[in-house]
Amino acid sequence: MTFDLTAIIKSKRDHRTRLAMLPIAEKLRLLDGLRARDVLLHKALPSRRAAGLPVKKLKVES
Amino acid sequence: MDIRQVFTIVNQMQLDGTISDYAIGEAVGATFYLEPVATLDVDIFITFRAEPGQLLLNPQPIFDYLTARGCTMQGEYVVIAGWPVQFLPPPSPLVEEALGHAVTVDVEGTPARVFTAEYLAAIALQTGRAKDKARLLQFVEEGRLDPALLQKILGSHQLDGAWQKFQRQFLDNAP
Repeated sequence: MTFDLTAIIKSKRDHRTRLAMLPIAEKLRLLDGLRARDVLLHKALPSRRAAGLPVKKLKVES
Repeated sequence: MDIRQVFTIVNQMQLDGTISDYAIGEAVGATFYLEPVATLDVDIFITFRAEPGQLLLNPQPIFDYLTARGCTMQGEYVVIAGWPVQFLPPPSPLVEEALGHAVTVDVEGTPARVFTAEYLAAIALQTGRAKDKARLLQFVEEGRLDPALLQKILGSHQLDGAWQKFQRQFLDNAP
């Protein structure tokens, strides 16, 4: 543990690099976990976000 | 919730001929090269099967295919394995070209088609939202880009100016 900002930034960058270098299947499992957490958080909000859906317009035209 | 099931069903949809080709883009696509970042949806760019005499792109066969297999519609999304998935036609020549250069990545036995890092970076630059710039910066900082290949793509799509501006804003140390 340090309060040296330079060391903190380096530590964060190193952590991100380690995450980036994980096997893709492992990263996708993390993504599943992140989405599950987001859905839980968004349930606290009114509106369509409650369903865990992002708010953006349909881009496909039929 | 298992995003690999999304790849499985989209692969099957391609095999069954409902779509011609696909590539995963945006945040999930970037996860193949960078750290995973929370996202609420999966954006899949596709080429539709052209029907004779059809002028407009029609996503209905995709929706029919997926709902027949138990997927549900929520607004403009199809929910597959707990993930809202949006199917998008290429919105620009750059994305169209990127689809043609997409690569197949093996995810524990499940193939997944994904844009290359250079095309994801170029698309992020072209799209230009704050989160796209953040993603582009991650690609640069993590050293995941082939500079010569990126330059070639940017040059082909008149993105040199946008790249120079991005460099001035985020990469140059000079004030």
